[in-house]
Amino acid sequence: MDEYDEMYGVQDDFDDQFADELDALAQLEEESSNPGKRQKQLPESDIRDVEHLLVDPSITPKAKRKKQDAGVVKRLFNSLQTHESKAPSQSDDISPPSSPEHYETPGNLRSTPVALDISGVATIPETPRRRPTAAPASLHVLKRPPLEGEYVSVTDSSGSRIYLRQTEDTGTKVVDSRLLPNSQGALGLLAVPIGVLREQEAERRHQQIMEESQRVTDLLTSSVNDELVQPESRGDGENYDPEDTEGRTSRLWVDRFSPRHYTELLSDDFTNRCLLKWLKLWDTVVFGRERKSRPVRSDRQAPNQKSFKPNQPNQNPNRFKTKIEVTEELLEAELDQYKRPKFKVALLSGPPGLGKTTLAHVIAKHAGYNVVEINASDDRSAEVFQKRIDAATQMKSVLGANERPNCLIIDEIDGAPAAAINILLATLNRKDGHGGEAGAETTKKKKKKESILLRPIICICNDLYVPALRPLKQQAFLLVFPQTQPSRLTQRLGEISLEQGMKVDSGTLMSLCEKTDNDIRSCINTLQFLHGRGHKQVNSKTIQNVSVGQKDQNKGLFHLWQAIFQLQRTKRKRIGEGFDEAPGSGSGAQRFQHILHLASSSGEFEKVSQGLYENYLSMRVRDPDLQSVCEALDWLSFSDRLNHVIMHGQNFSLMRYLPFLSVTFHFLFAHTHVPRISYPHSQHEASTRLLSSRNALSTMLADIPACIRTRISQLSLSLDILTLLLDIICPKLRPVNPQLFSSREKEQMRELINTMLAYNLSYRQDRTPEGQYTYILEPRVEEVVRFPGLPPRRQLTYQAKQTIGREMEQEKMRRAEQLMLQRNPATPREEEKKRAAPTSTRNHQQRLENIVKQTTVEIRPEVDFFGRVVVPKPQKPQPTSETGEKCAVVSLGKAVGDSDVWFRFNEGMSNAVRRNVYIRELL
Amino acid sequence: MSLWVDKYRPTALGKLDYHKEQATQLKNLVQCGDFPHLLVYGPSGAGKKTRIMCLLRELYGAGVEKLRIEHQTIVAPSKKKIEINIIASNYHLEVNASDAGNQDRVVIQELIKTVAQSQQIQSSTQREFKVVLLTEVDRLTKDAQHALRRTMEKYMSTCRLILCSTSTSKVIGPIQSRCLAIRVPLPSTEEVCSVLTSICKKEGLLLPPELAKQIAQKSGRNLRKALLMCEACRVQQYPFSADQEVPQTDWEVYLRETANAIVSQQSPQRLLEVRARLYELLTHCIPPDIIMKGLVTELLSNCDGQLKTEVAHMAAYYEHRLQLGSKAIYHLEAFTAKFMAIYKKFMEDGLDGMMF
Repeated sequence: MDEYDEMYGVQDDFDDQFADELDALAQLEEESSNPGKRQKQLPESDIRDVEHLLVDPSITPKAKRKKQDAGVVKRLFNSLQTHESKAPSQSDDISPPSSPEHYETPGNLRSTPVALDISGVATIPETPRRRPTAAPASLHVLKRPPLEGEYVSVTDSSGSRIYLRQTEDTGTKVVDSRLLPNSQGALGLLAVPIGVLREQEAERRHQQIMEESQRVTDLLTSSVNDELVQPESRGDGENYDPEDTEGRTSRLWVDRFSPRHYTELLSDDFTNRCLLKWLKLWDTVVFGRERKSRPVRSDRQAPNQKSFKPNQPNQNPNRFKTKIEVTEELLEAELDQYKRPKFKVALLSGPPGLGKTTLAHVIAKHAGYNVVEINASDDRSAEVFQKRIDAATQMKSVLGANERPNCLIIDEIDGAPAAAINILLATLNRKDGHGGEAGAETTKKKKKKESILLRPIICICNDLYVPALRPLKQQAFLLVFPQTQPSRLTQRLGEISLEQGMKVDSGTLMSLCEKTDNDIRSCINTLQFLHGRGHKQVNSKTIQNVSVGQKDQNKGLFHLWQAIFQLQRTKRKRIGEGFDEAPGSGSGAQRFQHILHLASSSGEFEKVSQGLYENYLSMRVRDPDLQSVCEALDWLSFSDRLNHVIMHGQNFSLMRYLPFLSVTFHFLFAHTHVPRISYPHSQHEASTRLLSSRNALSTMLADIPACIRTRISQLSLSLDILTLLLDIICPKLRPVNPQLFSSREKEQMRELINTMLAYNLSYRQDRTPEGQYTYILEPRVEEVVRFPGLPPRRQLTYQAKQTIGREMEQEKMRRAEQLMLQRNPATPREEEKKRAAPTSTRNHQQRLENIVKQTTVEIRPEVDFFGRVVVPKPQKPQPTSETGEKCAVVSLGKAVGDSDVWFRFNEGMSNAVRRNVYIRELL
Repeated sequence: MSLWVDKYRPTALGKLDYHKEQATQLKNLVQCGDFPHLLVYGPSGAGKKTRIMCLLRELYGAGVEKLRIEHQTIVAPSKKKIEINIIASNYHLEVNASDAGNQDRVVIQELIKTVAQSQQIQSSTQREFKVVLLTEVDRLTKDAQHALRRTMEKYMSTCRLILCSTSTSKVIGPIQSRCLAIRVPLPSTEEVCSVLTSICKKEGLLLPPELAKQIAQKSGRNLRKALLMCEACRVQQYPFSADQEVPQTDWEVYLRETANAIVSQQSPQRLLEVRARLYELLTHCIPPDIIMKGLVTELLSNCDGQLKTEVAHMAAYYEHRLQLGSKAIYHLEAFTAKFMAIYKKFMEDGLDGMMF
């Protein structure tokens, strides 16, 4: 039962999983039957103006078929004008002939005797141009039977007999073979047997009558429909147009054979399905359709599970989800409040030529959207981008036939500026102003300018990891394109080549796919190129020798390094490597060329050489006497010199010698083992660390007083001074209060502090991640001079550092005070007062002022303000303080301003009590 | 000013402790009034700067010791701002143009020209020229040095240049020929010892002569280092003992260990380890040429006589390449690898010789 259930479930799953696809297929079938209908309809609609069709035969495919018939008919009418009676309209039809042959026939006829029988006429029109007009004619019309060759004897009315030579004119072969099933060697000189012609004519007339009748009925029933069908049929005609001769040469095969339907897509099915599903999620909001299959499925599954597996609410709750499942789940996610899917944007990414753009277009069209595309060729500056997004998502074409909603496809988004992407994001995240119920407000929203996004957007990029795309990635439904399957690609290529009359076997096509890394576009272009060059028969040799098709793309550094360090097995024929399949395919010259090609196409010589440098020593190469290592290093230093010259002399012509480094490394270190290559970090790391050490040194140097600064430089600091200096500033101190130091110890302490101040060193309290407090030396020069693996130097204890730190602070203040005194010999009190003046507008005083205001009745604030504050300063006159009331205020203010101590209740703050304190009082 | 190096630095030519005859020559140079451009060179720690400052004091009096630091911003033609620190007194100007890196030419052109072009105001009471002291001239780029040539000649009347460098080899010929070159050699071991002893006496300490000698040797006669070492010894342990361990700079110890690692094993794996150590040294602001020099010195002490010449030759070759290139690590490693190869071959040959 269980099994059955599972089976059932599987089937169910299949149904559900592929519901969309089945849906799509069903629709497609409808569509594909539609064209049939259309084709049936086509004559009905068109027969109305058959004349017009016949006049301009290139418009519709139908007309083409007609043309042949018409051609036959024309000839018939020409030759057998008297024989057949026909509708008057038909004779009108014929009047503009499809080919000029017809007009030339009379001219040709002139050269021959007048009374030729009809059969002669029939042959002559076929070869009008080939026959030279005057002189050759006499050669063909003879008095006597010709000595060689066949001839026809003709007797005219007067009885004289002439012989017409039968010429093997090539012109006869030009005659359309379809029309001449038995023309060769037949005595009846008519191109087509008269019976056949009659049949054709009868059939045609019958058809015409049928069409005519149908047209009439159609006109009666659906006169409106006709108009709608017509443009579509014309569009259809355009689709087939390229099959015409003039399109054959001008259009790229890539365009001509690009898929037009979902089923024709070459890209990975899963990807296609996902995108389609995602797009279908929009149906609710865009078309107002409800999603059908999803709820049904969950309903159906739920009871099943409950009835049979009550203890397992989920089939596989603790299994890790595969990527596919995650993607599926994303698609199953609930719609948001506006019934939009969770991800408003789909982001397709993958290497070029996999059909991303095609997929987006086909699916959007398939899902019933009108595709609006923005790509790199458009202006994508922020404003224009905004305008275009709005135009595409908010508006809808009202004119013309495609009243379908828009689907915006932003191609090549990885090249767009970050500003444009931000705008896109803003559009995505736009919230409806009212929030609330979405359904009721949709009508209102349309009127507002800033309405929410209600149309799907598909973005396409090659590189998913462009920094500008980072914010978008989080909000987008990501679809990474896998490689196209070579088998499918080969099959398609086979079809194309067959259609174009090229003979290519599948092995060749496989090698073509391999050469182009399954790039569809590149494959087809290469095929067309070969076709255009006149290759009708292509084998794998040609494919390999032709220099197009191989992408000059960046393979990535790791690929290059791997190619350098790994010796290729030669049993498999490689495309990139072996241009000629000579027996010695692994020969030195070939490897040389291969690596050189790879290295020079990568372009990042600096990074490449760094990678080589980092990895070459860990290669498993037997090198007992270190010769190859030495040579490799010689090469490295050579390339370093090259680089130096290139950079300093701007001499870029030397750059061509840089890739040879890779070749050397290949020959020195390549091995059949798969190399384990790590990304080169060390040089970057080293440069950052060097920079940080330099910075530490320069911060230290920056504040060293000039008299010492002149004696030291960064170099001497790092080479000689610093290590020893750090030793010197770690004297042995008794772990007691500095007050209890002996005079000698005090002296030592003083010197220590002097030194530290002189060299701009100080201790700063810091908290380690473990929560312990430490004192660290600032600037952090310790790291500059200490080396790992050496015995640790003696460190001061925490207490000692604390003591030193405190003493240093005091010393600094003392010095600052001294300096100030030196500079301004004026009395410090004066200065303090001066300083007090500008600080008078501090918060607490303003607060006090307010309090005072509340207690007293009517005071002008300025008066109060100045009166109170300026009290200690007699030079500032009190403006107006005569009245008694004011005096009370003033006295209060005075009380506040006069005393050194203020009190204010200030919740949660430690500065409740303030007092002016001078440094010298503390020291 | 409490490190002994700073505290007991002589400030007058007459008070210098060694190379006294050179000091008198300098004094004469000042007194004869025809003061040329100077190129003072010598190894680090020999007292170049001290001598120059003494000379300046001899020229201008005690006013040169009132120094200040000026931060100047110079805008290069490429609109790039270069910030440079200048130590200046009223009479002279000290610039380390190599701080500006590749843009040092601009510094030379802009800064020195403006200084050199301005006349001294009161030429009657003082010298009629200012002095521009350029330090680390050997680190100047060639461009900057060429920019200096004409400036030196053109503004001879208002400005004298004193160039200070560790070696003349990187100073271009035209500049060398425009200057009076003064070499300040390292003090001898005895001189170092005497300086140490006298300073300890001034500090009221008793320095055993053995320890003094040890310090002098360990410091490589670099007087600055010797004094610092002595003071570090004092911090480490006082009273001094004759066989006290003298603290050393970490990078030298590290370099010695690196050299030992090279000698003890020669393989690509060891080369990788050595590379990590070389990187470590480079990131600690140790210049590559000094690493190379230290490495060679350490390696040579482990080499046999006939190998020494070859190693020295290789060292010279790779040092030259190092100067030409820009990525020091390649060249250092190339030298190491080459040494490993030579050394290994030598050892194997020796082993083969032993076998027969």
